Amino acid sequence: MKNITTLHLGESAIITEYSDNAVACKLMAMGLLPGASISVVRKAPFGGAYYVRTENHYVALRRNEAKHVLITNG
Amino acid sequence: MAERIKKIALLGNPNAGKSSLFNHLTGLRQKVGNFPGVTVERKSGLTKLNPNEEVQIIDLPGTYSLYPTSLDERIAVNALIDTNNKDYPDAIIYILDITHLERHLLLLTQLMDLHFPIVVACNMNDIAEQQNIVFDDKKLEKTLGLKCIKINGRTGAGIEQIKDSMSAILKENSTLTSTSFFPITEKEKDVATELQKIIPARNDYHALQLVHHAKKSTFLSQENKIAIEKIIEQNNFNSIDAQLNEIMQRYELFSPIVRDVLRKSFAKAKSITDKIDAVVTNKYLGPIIFFGLMLFVFQAIFAWSTIPMDWIDNKFTALSMLIKSILPENILSRLLVESIIPGIGGIVIFVPQITILFLLITLLEEIGYMSRAVYMFDNIMQKFGLNGRSIVALISGGACAIPAIMSTRTISNQKERLITILVTPFISCSARIPVFAVLIGFIVPSYKIGIFNSQGLVFMALYLIGIIAALTAAYIFKKILKAKESSYLMLELPEYKMPHWKNVFYTLNDKVSSFVFGAGKVILLVSLVLWFLASFGPPKKMKEAVAVATIESSLMQYDSATTNLHIASKKLEASYAGILGHIIEPVIKPLGFDWKIGIALITSFAAREVFVGTISTLYSIGKDADNLTIKEKLKQEKNAAGEPVFSMPVALSLVLFYLFAMQCMSTLATVHRETKTWKWPIIQFLYMSGTAYIVSMFVYQILK
Repeated sequence: MKNITTLHLGESAIITEYSDNAVACKLMAMGLLPGASISVVRKAPFGGAYYVRTENHYVALRRNEAKHVLITNG
Repeated sequence: MAERIKKIALLGNPNAGKSSLFNHLTGLRQKVGNFPGVTVERKSGLTKLNPNEEVQIIDLPGTYSLYPTSLDERIAVNALIDTNNKDYPDAIIYILDITHLERHLLLLTQLMDLHFPIVVACNMNDIAEQQNIVFDDKKLEKTLGLKCIKINGRTGAGIEQIKDSMSAILKENSTLTSTSFFPITEKEKDVATELQKIIPARNDYHALQLVHHAKKSTFLSQENKIAIEKIIEQNNFNSIDAQLNEIMQRYELFSPIVRDVLRKSFAKAKSITDKIDAVVTNKYLGPIIFFGLMLFVFQAIFAWSTIPMDWIDNKFTALSMLIKSILPENILSRLLVESIIPGIGGIVIFVPQITILFLLITLLEEIGYMSRAVYMFDNIMQKFGLNGRSIVALISGGACAIPAIMSTRTISNQKERLITILVTPFISCSARIPVFAVLIGFIVPSYKIGIFNSQGLVFMALYLIGIIAALTAAYIFKKILKAKESSYLMLELPEYKMPHWKNVFYTLNDKVSSFVFGAGKVILLVSLVLWFLASFGPPKKMKEAVAVATIESSLMQYDSATTNLHIASKKLEASYAGILGHIIEPVIKPLGFDWKIGIALITSFAAREVFVGTISTLYSIGKDADNLTIKEKLKQEKNAAGEPVFSMPVALSLVLFYLFAMQCMSTLATVHRETKTWKWPIIQFLYMSGTAYIVSMFVYQILK
């Protein structure tokens, strides 16, 4: 299963599920739901956090959080 | 009329506009305190729902769901599930951002299942309109079975209707709507039933919440915790799986509602936030902009505050002189002129700097920039054992370590939070500014290097050393301390918005007055004690000192003015303060400090800025030259050998001491409250002041 760290900047995909329940609880409560289209807008300097967005949510994730967001190319 | 005043909690997701609503409801009748046991800010205030009905509004920290990941979220959840909590509400005003309706329904439906009477405030209608979102509040009202009112956080429209509806549901006191968006599972039902045998709960869902939160609960007894642990084991209940299942169930059931009440046609064009972030969070430009902003903030503090500060300084000196000329010379007038007025002056003079700093930090927070800084620096911060969120604490530390330490509550990982608390006081706070400002003149003369002023550059260097010290200490703590839990970032980057000036005003008002009346009280008290210590001593010694000084003066054939000065200085040496200073002199001698500086070190433990007051008191007592600036007074100060006391090595050693040492009682008290032990404030005091002692000694011994 691919996760969002494999996405190129600007490329979008559909969230299918999460591979970690704690990350899933928090991100879903923040509005990042399976079925939503997600894209990586940019990455922080020095190999840092991922700036991702869904339809109308902007969220910053660490790499080890982002890798639990599983996707399918939509 | 003996009826208990009803409590209304204000709840919602972060960035939903809660503080605006709170400010509209309570205005200046708000009170800022702390939630018991922690320094998470607790805002509450009274409001009249109608002429005869007054209620207390409690602003609970924003949270996304009943499953918290940070301390401040946990406080909100505790207030809702612990029926003995002093903030346990009678009813709730839920604030909902209709541009993010789906997500905001999650917590709302959880609250509904706890069977609280709720009034829903629908915010952000203006932004929804801009985004071409059509929102049907009547339909939402019907589906949820709750009163839903459109409000505008900026203008205050809708606030009156909120009050009316709240008044109505408080009167009704009827059994509540049974609309639920969470069919509880068989297993959960069993667990809830078991729980209710040991703890009374409102309903099954409430019981379930107590089970979920038992492990980290601060309000359940140890016995109950063990009992709950048993229930969890016997039923093979997995809390995190159940949480996830619940969240998914809820979304599934209310997502159709969202489609029903919202008509959106998302504009394809890039939003303003996208455009701003393309520049502000750019890989290369972002950090440059950040440091540019910080430079601007510090420039503003120094440049904009000089005029009001000079003005305050002049007014207080003039006031002292005026009173001195009016009142007869006696002990009370001396107390007033030499202690109380300069003491108050010493507090008021900081107001311009603190106001400017808090204004800029509050603005950055309000418009949504701070979370971008967190995003950009999270990775670097992690290398030092900190969290991206630590950057907010480190920046605020430039104003004052106390609110900075309070801001660490958003860091979910306890180790990262602790390290942030421990190292933040290394960042040069505004209280160090006056100490530096007085002493820098002794380190370098003022001249221009290109467009920069030499003293300004030294100032910059001192700030930089503070930052380096904080990061180095953090790195060392990272290696020493053990981590107990995983660390998260998962941070919402809210859309940029214009600041709500009302919110900025209330925040500023709160921060500045808590400095003036909180820290100010201590500073004033210390200056009183100091004046007493410096003016009185053992009577016999004081008499002897006067006699000796008189004889010496006549032997040296001093004129009367010099004689008076000589007597005054001998008296000071014999005073209680002098005795105290002499006692610690051997300890601080290797740092180049004499007993007078020793007195200042002791008194400024209350707050660093007291140093300046102490020094000026020490050198102005008995002298006519009250209106000389402190710097000039210090330059005149000579030791027994006739050399200036404040030589370059001494001044540098002193500046470095103040840079590193934990010279702040209030910060230590805050750390104690925050970590709930004396262990960490003691460790913090020892390691910071130890560093200060070693560095100062090293520098002084090399340069002297």
